[in-house]
Amino acid sequence: MTDTTTAPHAVCVFAVRRGRGPDLPPALSGHEGGGPLRLMPVGALWSVVQDVPSDTYSEESLHGRLSEPATLERCVRAHHAVVTAFAARGAAIPLPLATLFHSQERARTALLAHAPRFERGLARIAGRAEWAVKVNLLATSAPAPEPTPAPTPTPATGRAYLNRLRERGQAREQRRERAVQAAELLDRAVLSLADATVRRRPHSAEVTGRDRAQIMNAAYLVPEDRAAELLALVEQLRAAPEFQDSEVEVTGPWVPYSFVDAASFTEVASSPGDRPPATAEPRDRGPHETVPQDAAGSRA
Amino acid sequence: MSDLDTWRTPQAPHAVGPADGSLADILERVLDKGIVIAGDIKIDLLDIELLTIRVRLFIASVDTARKAGIDWWETDPALSSRAARDDLREENRRLRDRLDELDPAGDHADRKDRELRQDHQPHQDHGSRQDRDSRQDRTKETPR
Repeated sequence: MTDTTTAPHAVCVFAVRRGRGPDLPPALSGHEGGGPLRLMPVGALWSVVQDVPSDTYSEESLHGRLSEPATLERCVRAHHAVVTAFAARGAAIPLPLATLFHSQERARTALLAHAPRFERGLARIAGRAEWAVKVNLLATSAPAPEPTPAPTPTPATGRAYLNRLRERGQAREQRRERAVQAAELLDRAVLSLADATVRRRPHSAEVTGRDRAQIMNAAYLVPEDRAAELLALVEQLRAAPEFQDSEVEVTGPWVPYSFVDAASFTEVASSPGDRPPATAEPRDRGPHETVPQDAAGSRA
Repeated sequence: MSDLDTWRTPQAPHAVGPADGSLADILERVLDKGIVIAGDIKIDLLDIELLTIRVRLFIASVDTARKAGIDWWETDPALSSRAARDDLREENRRLRDRLDELDPAGDHADRKDRELRQDHQPHQDHGSRQDRDSRQDRTKETPR
Protein backbone atom coordinates (compact mmCIF):
# COMPACT_ATOMS: atom_id res chain seq x y z
CA MET A 1 0.00 0.00 0.00
CA THR A 2 3.00 2.24 0.31
CA ASP A 3 3.69 1.86 -3.39
CA THR A 4 2.29 5.28 -4.21
CA THR A 5 3.73 5.26 -7.72
CA THR A 6 1.15 2.76 -8.94
CA ALA A 7 -1.62 2.87 -6.32
CA PRO A 8 -4.14 5.71 -6.64
CA HIS A 9 -2.88 8.62 -4.64
CA ALA A 10 -3.75 12.14 -3.59
CA VAL A 11 -1.28 14.99 -3.24
CA CYS A 12 -0.91 16.65 0.14
CA VAL A 13 0.50 20.19 0.25
CA PHE A 14 2.16 21.30 3.48
CA ALA A 15 3.64 24.75 2.90
CA VAL A 16 4.84 27.30 0.36
CA ARG A 17 7.90 29.54 0.27
CA ARG A 18 10.10 31.59 -2.04
CA GLY A 19 13.03 29.76 -3.57
CA ARG A 20 13.62 26.04 -3.62
CA GLY A 21 16.05 26.00 -0.74
CA PRO A 22 17.88 22.90 0.44
CA ASP A 23 16.34 19.43 0.40
CA LEU A 24 14.43 18.42 3.47
CA PRO A 25 16.14 16.16 5.99
CA PRO A 26 15.84 12.59 4.64
CA ALA A 27 14.62 11.35 8.03
CA LEU A 28 11.50 13.44 7.65
CA SER A 29 8.77 11.11 6.42
CA GLY A 30 5.62 13.23 6.38
CA HIS A 31 2.27 11.47 6.64
CA GLU A 32 1.85 7.79 7.34
CA GLY A 33 1.82 5.62 4.25
CA GLY A 34 2.87 8.52 2.06
CA GLY A 35 5.64 8.65 -0.53
CA PRO A 36 8.77 10.75 -0.19
CA LEU A 37 8.41 14.48 0.42
CA ARG A 38 9.01 16.50 -2.74
CA LEU A 39 9.75 20.14 -3.44
CA MET A 40 7.41 21.29 -6.19
CA PRO A 41 7.76 24.58 -8.09
CA VAL A 42 4.64 26.76 -8.28
CA GLY A 43 5.33 29.72 -10.51
CA ALA A 44 7.90 31.78 -8.62
CA LEU A 45 7.22 29.89 -5.40
CA TRP A 46 8.05 26.43 -4.12
CA SER A 47 5.92 24.06 -2.15
CA VAL A 48 6.54 20.87 -0.22
CA VAL A 49 4.18 18.07 -1.20
CA GLN A 50 3.71 14.37 -0.68
CA ASP A 51 1.75 11.60 -2.40
CA VAL A 52 -0.58 9.85 0.01
CA PRO A 53 -2.75 6.78 -0.64
CA SER A 54 -6.22 7.79 -1.85
CA ASP A 55 -8.03 5.18 0.18
CA THR A 56 -6.77 6.27 3.58
CA TYR A 57 -6.81 9.98 2.69
CA SER A 58 -10.35 10.15 1.33
CA GLU A 59 -12.86 12.47 2.97
CA GLU A 60 -14.57 9.65 4.76
CA SER A 61 -11.46 7.86 5.87
CA LEU A 62 -9.72 11.03 7.02
CA HIS A 63 -12.69 12.22 8.97
CA GLY A 64 -12.83 8.96 10.80
CA ARG A 65 -9.12 8.74 11.39
CA LEU A 66 -8.72 12.34 12.52
CA SER A 67 -11.42 11.74 15.07
CA GLU A 68 -9.21 9.20 16.79
CA PRO A 69 -6.96 10.95 19.27
CA ALA A 70 -3.88 8.88 18.55
CA THR A 71 -4.14 9.17 14.76
CA LEU A 72 -4.92 12.85 14.97
CA GLU A 73 -1.86 13.43 17.10
CA ARG A 74 0.43 11.55 14.71
CA CYS A 75 -1.05 13.36 11.72
CA VAL A 76 -0.80 16.77 13.35
CA ARG A 77 2.75 16.20 14.50
CA ALA A 78 3.81 14.90 11.08
CA HIS A 79 2.36 17.99 9.42
CA HIS A 80 3.99 20.30 11.94
CA ALA A 81 7.38 18.61 11.55
CA VAL A 82 7.35 19.05 7.76
CA VAL A 83 6.22 22.69 7.99
CA THR A 84 8.84 23.51 10.61
CA ALA A 85 11.67 21.84 8.67
CA PHE A 86 10.63 23.55 5.42
CA ALA A 87 10.49 26.95 7.14
CA ALA A 88 13.84 26.50 8.87
CA ARG A 89 15.72 28.03 5.93
CA GLY A 90 13.46 30.94 5.10
CA ALA A 91 9.93 32.11 5.67
CA ALA A 92 7.24 29.65 4.63
CA ILE A 93 3.45 29.82 4.58
CA PRO A 94 1.85 26.80 6.21
CA LEU A 95 -1.34 25.35 4.80
CA PRO A 96 -3.86 23.74 7.14
CA LEU A 97 -3.58 20.09 7.99
CA ALA A 98 -4.63 17.75 5.16
CA THR A 99 -4.83 20.16 2.24
CA LEU A 100 -5.30 17.48 -0.42
CA PHE A 101 -5.62 17.41 -4.21
CA HIS A 102 -6.40 14.65 -6.69
CA SER A 103 -3.17 15.23 -8.61
CA GLN A 104 0.01 17.25 -8.63
CA GLU A 105 -1.33 19.34 -11.50
CA ARG A 106 -4.49 20.23 -9.61
CA ALA A 107 -2.41 21.16 -6.59
CA ARG A 108 -0.19 23.36 -8.70
CA THR A 109 -3.16 25.09 -10.33
CA ALA A 110 -4.83 25.79 -6.97
CA LEU A 111 -1.61 27.12 -5.45
CA LEU A 112 -0.94 29.33 -8.47
CA ALA A 113 -4.39 30.85 -8.16
CA HIS A 114 -3.52 31.93 -4.64
CA ALA A 115 0.01 33.16 -5.40
CA PRO A 116 -0.80 36.81 -4.53
CA ARG A 117 -2.05 35.77 -1.09
CA PHE A 118 1.08 33.73 -0.53
CA GLU A 119 3.24 36.67 -1.56
CA ARG A 120 1.43 39.02 0.80
CA GLY A 121 1.70 36.53 3.62
CA LEU A 122 5.40 35.97 2.98
CA ALA A 123 6.07 39.69 2.99
CA ARG A 124 4.33 39.92 6.34
CA ILE A 125 6.21 37.12 8.09
CA ALA A 126 9.67 37.43 6.55
CA GLY A 127 12.25 37.69 9.33
CA ARG A 128 9.61 37.18 12.01
CA ALA A 129 8.45 34.35 14.21
CA GLU A 130 5.37 33.55 16.23
CA TRP A 131 5.66 33.38 20.01
CA ALA A 132 2.99 31.99 22.26
CA VAL A 133 2.55 33.68 25.63
CA LYS A 134 0.20 32.33 28.26
CA VAL A 135 -0.68 33.47 31.74
CA ASN A 136 -1.98 30.89 34.20
CA LEU A 137 -3.45 31.69 37.57
CA LEU A 138 -2.05 29.19 40.03
CA ALA A 139 -4.27 27.59 42.62
CA THR A 140 -3.35 28.57 46.16
CA SER A 141 -0.77 26.12 47.41
CA ALA A 142 -2.05 26.30 50.98
CA PRO A 143 -5.57 27.09 52.20
CA ALA A 144 -6.02 30.79 52.90
CA PRO A 145 -5.46 31.63 56.56
CA GLU A 146 -8.58 32.36 58.59
CA PRO A 147 -9.19 36.09 58.19
CA THR A 148 -10.14 36.57 61.86
CA PRO A 149 -8.53 33.86 63.95
CA ALA A 150 -10.81 33.54 66.94
CA PRO A 151 -9.12 33.13 70.32
CA THR A 152 -11.85 30.78 71.46
CA PRO A 153 -13.58 28.28 69.24
CA THR A 154 -16.50 30.15 67.70
CA PRO A 155 -19.83 28.41 67.60
CA ALA A 156 -20.39 27.00 64.15
CA THR A 157 -23.30 29.24 63.24
CA GLY A 158 -24.75 29.37 59.78
CA ARG A 159 -23.87 33.02 59.56
CA ALA A 160 -20.19 32.40 60.30
CA TYR A 161 -20.13 29.68 57.72
CA LEU A 162 -21.66 31.96 55.09
CA ASN A 163 -19.22 34.73 55.97
CA ARG A 164 -16.32 32.35 55.54
CA LEU A 165 -17.64 31.26 52.17
CA ARG A 166 -18.06 34.85 51.06
CA GLU A 167 -14.57 35.83 52.15
CA ARG A 168 -13.11 32.87 50.35
CA GLY A 169 -15.02 33.85 47.22
CA GLN A 170 -13.78 37.43 47.45
CA ALA A 171 -10.19 36.30 47.91
CA ARG A 172 -10.48 34.09 44.85
CA GLU A 173 -11.97 36.94 42.85
CA GLN A 174 -9.14 39.26 43.91
CA ARG A 175 -6.52 36.75 42.87
CA ARG A 176 -8.20 36.33 39.52
CA GLU A 177 -8.47 40.08 39.08
CA ARG A 178 -4.78 40.48 39.85
CA ALA A 179 -3.90 37.79 37.32
CA VAL A 180 -6.02 39.50 34.66
CA GLN A 181 -4.17 42.75 35.36
CA ALA A 182 -0.87 40.92 35.17
CA ALA A 183 -1.88 39.51 31.81
CA GLU A 184 -2.77 43.00 30.58
CA LEU A 185 0.57 44.30 31.75
CA LEU A 186 2.39 41.50 30.00
CA ASP A 187 0.33 41.95 26.82
CA ARG A 188 1.14 45.66 26.62
CA ALA A 189 4.81 44.97 27.21
CA VAL A 190 5.04 42.26 24.57
CA LEU A 191 3.07 44.37 22.09
CA SER A 192 5.87 46.92 22.23
CA LEU A 193 8.05 44.32 20.51
CA ALA A 194 5.44 42.76 18.26
CA ASP A 195 4.03 43.48 14.82
CA ALA A 196 0.76 41.67 15.35
CA THR A 197 -1.15 39.70 17.93
CA VAL A 198 -3.97 37.24 18.27
CA ARG A 199 -5.87 36.11 21.33
CA ARG A 200 -6.95 32.51 21.56
CA ARG A 201 -9.42 30.79 23.79
CA PRO A 202 -7.64 29.89 27.02
CA HIS A 203 -6.94 26.22 27.42
CA SER A 204 -9.25 24.45 29.81
CA ALA A 205 -8.30 22.97 33.13
CA GLU A 206 -7.99 19.59 31.46
CA VAL A 207 -5.07 20.92 29.44
CA THR A 208 -3.46 23.19 32.00
CA GLY A 209 -3.91 20.84 34.91
CA ARG A 210 -6.43 21.40 37.64
CA ASP A 211 -3.99 23.39 39.72
CA ARG A 212 -4.06 26.38 37.36
CA ALA A 213 -6.58 28.38 35.34
CA GLN A 214 -5.51 29.96 32.10
CA ILE A 215 -6.12 33.70 32.02
CA MET A 216 -4.51 34.56 28.72
CA ASN A 217 -3.53 32.57 25.65
CA ALA A 218 -2.01 34.92 23.12
CA ALA A 219 0.32 34.76 20.16
CA TYR A 220 2.57 37.52 18.87
CA LEU A 221 4.44 38.06 15.64
CA VAL A 222 7.91 39.19 16.71
CA PRO A 223 10.95 40.15 14.59
CA GLU A 224 13.63 37.47 14.86
CA ASP A 225 16.18 39.94 16.17
CA ARG A 226 13.92 40.86 19.06
CA ALA A 227 13.37 37.37 20.41
CA ALA A 228 16.03 37.78 23.10
CA GLU A 229 14.36 41.02 24.18
CA LEU A 230 11.04 39.25 24.44
CA LEU A 231 12.46 36.54 26.67
CA ALA A 232 14.27 39.06 28.86
CA LEU A 233 11.12 41.11 29.17
CA VAL A 234 9.06 38.14 30.26
CA GLU A 235 11.73 37.08 32.72
CA GLN A 236 11.70 40.55 34.23
CA LEU A 237 7.91 40.70 34.47
CA ARG A 238 7.70 37.32 36.18
CA ALA A 239 9.30 38.94 39.21
CA ALA A 240 6.76 41.78 39.33
CA PRO A 241 4.28 41.76 42.24
CA GLU A 242 1.31 41.43 39.87
CA PHE A 243 2.56 37.98 38.95
CA GLN A 244 2.75 36.56 42.44
CA ASP A 245 -0.18 34.20 41.82
CA SER A 246 0.51 33.61 38.15
CA GLU A 247 2.79 31.69 35.93
CA VAL A 248 3.91 32.91 32.51
CA GLU A 249 4.57 30.38 29.78
CA VAL A 250 6.44 31.37 26.65
CA THR A 251 6.95 29.03 23.72
CA GLY A 252 8.56 29.71 20.41
CA PRO A 253 9.79 30.49 17.90
CA TRP A 254 6.90 28.98 15.95
CA VAL A 255 6.38 29.14 12.24
CA PRO A 256 3.94 32.10 12.12
CA TYR A 257 0.86 29.92 11.60
CA SER A 258 -1.41 32.56 13.09
CA PHE A 259 -0.12 35.50 11.09
CA VAL A 260 -0.02 34.53 7.45
CA ASP A 261 -3.68 35.21 6.76
CA ALA A 262 -4.60 38.86 7.20
CA ALA A 263 -8.10 38.04 8.44
CA SER A 264 -6.97 36.19 11.52
CA PHE A 265 -5.07 38.65 13.67
CA THR A 266 -4.78 42.23 14.89
CA GLU A 267 -1.99 44.34 13.51
CA VAL A 268 -0.02 46.49 15.93
CA ALA A 269 0.63 50.10 14.92
CA SER A 270 3.98 50.33 13.17
CA SER A 271 5.83 52.70 15.48
CA PRO A 272 5.72 52.64 19.28
CA GLY A 273 4.50 56.25 19.31
CA ASP A 274 1.49 55.33 17.22
CA ARG A 275 0.58 52.42 19.41
CA PRO A 276 -2.99 52.57 20.61
CA PRO A 277 -3.43 53.28 24.30
CA ALA A 278 -3.73 50.39 26.67
CA THR A 279 -7.49 50.64 26.64
CA ALA A 280 -7.71 49.90 22.94
CA GLU A 281 -8.71 46.28 22.88
CA PRO A 282 -8.10 43.95 19.99
CA ARG A 283 -11.48 42.99 18.65
CA ASP A 284 -11.50 39.49 20.04
CA ARG A 285 -10.09 40.17 23.42
CA GLY A 286 -12.98 40.56 25.83
CA PRO A 287 -14.54 37.15 26.21
CA HIS A 288 -11.21 35.38 26.28
CA GLU A 289 -10.28 36.80 29.60
CA THR A 290 -13.08 35.01 31.27
CA VAL A 291 -11.86 32.05 33.20
CA PRO A 292 -13.98 29.07 32.21
CA GLN A 293 -16.60 28.65 34.90
CA ASP A 294 -15.74 25.04 35.56
CA ALA A 295 -12.06 25.89 35.95
CA ALA A 296 -12.78 28.72 38.37
CA GLY A 297 -15.26 26.63 40.27
CA SER A 298 -12.82 23.81 40.83
CA ARG A 299 -10.48 26.11 42.69
CA ALA A 300 -11.64 26.41 46.26
CA MET B 1 3.06 18.93 41.63
CA SER B 2 6.64 18.28 40.70
CA ASP B 3 5.47 15.75 38.14
CA LEU B 4 3.41 18.34 36.38
CA ASP B 5 6.14 20.90 36.62
CA THR B 6 8.71 18.72 34.92
CA TRP B 7 6.22 17.89 32.24
CA ARG B 8 5.33 21.52 31.63
CA THR B 9 8.76 23.08 32.15
CA PRO B 10 7.19 26.51 32.36
CA GLN B 11 10.38 28.14 33.54
CA ALA B 12 12.46 27.02 30.58
CA PRO B 13 10.98 28.61 27.48
CA HIS B 14 13.84 27.55 25.25
CA ALA B 15 13.42 23.94 26.20
CA VAL B 16 9.86 23.91 24.87
CA GLY B 17 10.85 23.76 21.26
CA PRO B 18 8.04 24.33 18.80
CA ALA B 19 9.02 21.20 16.90
CA ASP B 20 7.83 19.10 19.83
CA GLY B 21 5.51 21.60 21.48
CA SER B 22 2.48 20.60 23.49
CA LEU B 23 -0.21 18.98 21.41
CA ALA B 24 -2.79 21.60 22.37
CA ASP B 25 -0.46 24.34 21.09
CA ILE B 26 0.22 22.52 17.84
CA LEU B 27 -3.42 21.61 17.28
CA GLU B 28 -4.67 25.13 17.58
CA ARG B 29 -2.14 26.16 14.96
CA VAL B 30 -2.19 23.46 12.31
CA LEU B 31 -5.90 22.79 12.04
CA ASP B 32 -7.14 25.91 10.35
CA LYS B 33 -4.35 28.42 10.55
CA GLY B 34 -2.07 29.30 7.71
CA ILE B 35 -3.49 30.19 4.33
CA VAL B 36 -6.58 28.12 3.77
CA ILE B 37 -7.14 27.05 0.18
CA ALA B 38 -9.85 24.68 -0.95
CA GLY B 39 -8.44 21.24 -1.63
CA ASP B 40 -10.09 18.65 -3.87
CA ILE B 41 -10.72 16.49 -0.86
CA LYS B 42 -12.88 18.42 1.52
CA ILE B 43 -12.08 17.93 5.14
CA ASP B 44 -14.33 19.94 7.39
CA LEU B 45 -11.65 21.32 9.64
CA LEU B 46 -14.20 23.19 11.67
CA ASP B 47 -15.82 19.90 12.45
CA ILE B 48 -12.47 18.31 13.17
CA GLU B 49 -11.67 21.17 15.46
CA LEU B 50 -14.89 20.67 17.36
CA LEU B 51 -14.04 17.05 17.81
CA THR B 52 -10.56 17.86 18.88
CA ILE B 53 -11.71 20.18 21.59
CA ARG B 54 -12.52 17.02 23.43
CA VAL B 55 -9.80 15.02 21.79
CA ARG B 56 -7.40 17.66 22.92
CA LEU B 57 -8.67 17.44 26.44
CA PHE B 58 -8.38 13.72 26.23
CA ILE B 59 -4.79 13.71 25.05
CA ALA B 60 -3.63 16.41 27.39
CA SER B 61 -5.34 14.65 30.23
CA VAL B 62 -3.68 11.38 29.35
CA ASP B 63 -0.31 13.11 29.18
CA THR B 64 -0.84 14.70 32.54
CA ALA B 65 -2.39 11.67 34.11
CA ARG B 66 0.28 9.31 32.85
CA LYS B 67 2.86 11.42 34.64
CA ALA B 68 0.79 11.33 37.76
CA GLY B 69 0.12 7.60 37.42
CA ILE B 70 -3.66 7.82 37.25
CA ASP B 71 -6.13 6.46 34.74
CA TRP B 72 -9.43 8.17 35.42
CA TRP B 73 -10.00 8.98 31.74
CA GLU B 74 -10.82 5.38 31.00
CA THR B 75 -14.13 5.72 32.78
CA ASP B 76 -14.96 9.37 32.18
CA PRO B 77 -18.23 9.52 30.25
CA ALA B 78 -17.38 13.00 28.99
CA LEU B 79 -14.66 11.42 26.89
CA SER B 80 -16.91 9.06 24.99
CA SER B 81 -17.27 9.92 21.35
CA ARG B 82 -19.72 12.37 19.94
CA ALA B 83 -20.96 9.60 17.71
CA ALA B 84 -22.36 7.80 20.72
CA ARG B 85 -24.25 10.90 21.77
CA ASP B 86 -25.57 11.44 18.26
CA ASP B 87 -26.75 7.84 18.18
CA LEU B 88 -28.79 8.41 21.31
CA ARG B 89 -30.29 11.55 19.89
CA GLU B 90 -31.13 9.80 16.64
CA GLU B 91 -32.77 6.91 18.49
CA ASN B 92 -34.76 9.40 20.52
CA ARG B 93 -35.96 11.07 17.38
CA ARG B 94 -36.99 7.78 15.80
CA LEU B 95 -38.96 6.82 18.89
CA ARG B 96 -40.76 10.13 18.90
CA ASP B 97 -41.66 9.79 15.22
CA ARG B 98 -42.96 6.33 15.90
CA LEU B 99 -45.05 7.71 18.74
CA ASP B 100 -46.49 10.31 16.42
CA GLU B 101 -47.33 7.61 13.90
CA LEU B 102 -49.09 5.47 16.45
CA ASP B 103 -50.98 8.34 17.97
CA PRO B 104 -51.30 11.09 15.39
CA ALA B 105 -53.95 12.94 17.39
CA GLY B 106 -51.89 12.76 20.57
CA ASP B 107 -50.74 15.96 22.14
CA HIS B 108 -47.03 16.20 21.33
CA ALA B 109 -46.93 19.95 21.42
CA ASP B 110 -44.28 19.83 24.07
CA ARG B 111 -41.96 17.96 21.75
CA LYS B 112 -39.74 20.95 21.05
CA ASP B 113 -39.56 21.59 24.72
CA ARG B 114 -38.44 18.07 25.39
CA GLU B 115 -35.78 18.33 22.73
CA LEU B 116 -34.47 21.46 24.34
CA ARG B 117 -34.38 19.85 27.72
CA GLN B 118 -32.59 16.88 26.29
CA ASP B 119 -29.91 19.21 25.03
CA HIS B 120 -29.38 20.56 28.49
CA GLN B 121 -29.03 17.37 30.40
CA PRO B 122 -25.92 17.87 32.44
CA HIS B 123 -24.17 14.65 31.49
CA GLN B 124 -24.51 15.48 27.81
CA ASP B 125 -23.85 19.13 28.11
CA HIS B 126 -20.22 19.01 28.98
CA GLY B 127 -19.04 18.22 25.50
CA SER B 128 -21.53 20.26 23.58
CA ARG B 129 -20.85 23.35 25.63
CA GLN B 130 -17.18 23.03 24.84
CA ASP B 131 -18.10 22.71 21.20
CA ARG B 132 -20.15 25.86 21.23
CA ASP B 133 -17.42 27.78 22.99
CA SER B 134 -14.97 26.64 20.42
CA ARG B 135 -17.16 27.70 17.55
CA GLN B 136 -17.56 31.14 19.05
CA ASP B 137 -13.87 31.45 19.59
CA ARG B 138 -13.07 30.46 16.08
CA THR B 139 -15.49 32.94 14.63
CA LYS B 140 -13.86 35.71 16.55
CA GLU B 141 -10.37 34.78 15.54
CA THR B 142 -10.95 34.28 11.87
CA PRO B 143 -14.08 36.00 10.69
CA ARG B 144 -14.86 34.68 7.24
